[in-house]
Amino acid sequence: MTSLERVCAAVRFQKPDRTPVIPQIFGHTAKLSGVPLIDYVRNGEALAECQLRALRRYGQDAVFAVMDANVEAEAAGALISYRADAYPVIEACLEHDRAFGRAFPLPNPDVSGRMPQVLKALRIMRGQVRDEVLVVGLVLGPFTLASQLVGIEKALFTAADEPEVLVAMLDTAVDIAISYGRAQLAAGAHLVLVFDPAASPAVVPPTFFREMEVPRLRKIFDSLASVGSAANWLHIAGPVRSILQYYPAAGAQIANFDYEVPAVDARGGLPSTCLDGNVRSLAFVDSIPAEIETAARTLCAEFKDRGGFILSSGCEIPPESSPDNVAALVAAARSSERT
Amino acid sequence: MQDPATSKLADSILDGDSEQAAAAARELLARGTPVRDIVTLGVEGAMSALDGKCTLERFNLLEIMLAGRAVMQVMHVLFPPGAPMPGNRGTVVVGTLEGDVHDLGKSVLKMVLTGKGYRVVDCGRSCPLDVLAARVREERPIAVGISGLVTSVIPNVQKVRPLLRCQGMGDVKVVAGGAALKQSSAEKLDVDFLAQSAFDCVHYLESLVLPGTVLRTELPAADELPATEANP
Repeated sequence: MTSLERVCAAVRFQKPDRTPVIPQIFGHTAKLSGVPLIDYVRNGEALAECQLRALRRYGQDAVFAVMDANVEAEAAGALISYRADAYPVIEACLEHDRAFGRAFPLPNPDVSGRMPQVLKALRIMRGQVRDEVLVVGLVLGPFTLASQLVGIEKALFTAADEPEVLVAMLDTAVDIAISYGRAQLAAGAHLVLVFDPAASPAVVPPTFFREMEVPRLRKIFDSLASVGSAANWLHIAGPVRSILQYYPAAGAQIANFDYEVPAVDARGGLPSTCLDGNVRSLAFVDSIPAEIETAARTLCAEFKDRGGFILSSGCEIPPESSPDNVAALVAAARSSERT
Repeated sequence: MQDPATSKLADSILDGDSEQAAAAARELLARGTPVRDIVTLGVEGAMSALDGKCTLERFNLLEIMLAGRAVMQVMHVLFPPGAPMPGNRGTVVVGTLEGDVHDLGKSVLKMVLTGKGYRVVDCGRSCPLDVLAARVREERPIAVGISGLVTSVIPNVQKVRPLLRCQGMGDVKVVAGGAALKQSSAEKLDVDFLAQSAFDCVHYLESLVLPGTVLRTELPAADELPATEANP
């Protein structure tokens, strides 16, 4: 099986030749390649080279065209501060009234901010791996993007004080996600992951997720599926147990679960959805390969009878992680066919 | 039995209704209710109730932020701008360390600590270690609270306790928390306590018998406060 076939089999609950493994490595691939993060997050060619080098080193089942979580906000007009060897940060959010009423122009993925560099990275990676390895793009979910545009404190207070304003912001965020996501698919992504950490129950109540996020996530996923996305992948970190029940209505076909959610709870909450997770991210920094391998083997065993599982970290593997720990995760999956 | 107006204050805070909470505080002041009672029965009572609601499974930032905003509004009514806010339980220095520019977790901690009666000194975000140590020397807090959202800040977190110790401030407790740090352990971070939430930090502080803590009774009564609109 190719990596792409292996992942697709897991999504359909068919039996792959082994457990697919997708370590969530973004900036880590730059560290691995000796490339400064500032270059990785600004240059599509550098990003693609780093991801492909990591693929040769680890032999995982996917590569990511992921720079950082600020690409859309920057493209929409937020001021970004770049740092030599760390992810960039938002220096100045958009003014509240600019975000409301779409006073700012919607980004054009072909020209706005770093979006063209992400598309470039996708073209390079897809050209290299073709349909052998899953090529993954990323867009922010509605509330996460709204939080990036105006700042999370302001987004939260707006949710309570001016819900109609928040609704407008969320709808704008959906338009951005669809436009940018479709451009990524056209550039070569097999699928586009929707990253929505601000929609976690650690941040907003489950009722907010159900009423404000679910219909908008559905709209994004439906739009991306209509232009050929291989699967709908939803990524929300944190203690998501209380919102798992809403994921099918959102259209999620692959759901990330973090270390805070035990595998048995994720299985119970989403019996018919492919799950990916959930080795603790920091373990790739502060543990040794044998510990990673043990955690990974335990997870593979927990899903052996069920299928519908992709071995992964619960969230991003930190850039400074030990390469031997990432390799141990992949090795555990590679040996899973024999378990 | 609790005064209905005090209950109204606590309920307004729990509802996240800043305006109603501020109005309730003004009403209590106008009636001559001692500030210490307003703080301990109204504000701290509400924060304790919120604490009870916010288990690790049922916790969301929105609720805490709204309650925290109401608390800050009430404190603004009780203590005029520019006047030092008394910390009836002691002072805590909070901050995120150099390399981490995210300050949401710190802001939440600040609001919760304020609501629970601590005086909070905020060192801001991406605070250099030497600046943090200088503030600790100036303020003589009972603890330092460090919030971290990115793992790359861990090496700086690990330097805090040794730095305070070598400057003769080893008695100041160091508490860490935040999405990145809480995945680790107190031992690995070299801190006194690793909090899973802002309330977890408060529980730890309350568990300490701390020398130098100002007694609750030292909170000023209404007639001892500087004049404000609500306390003419």
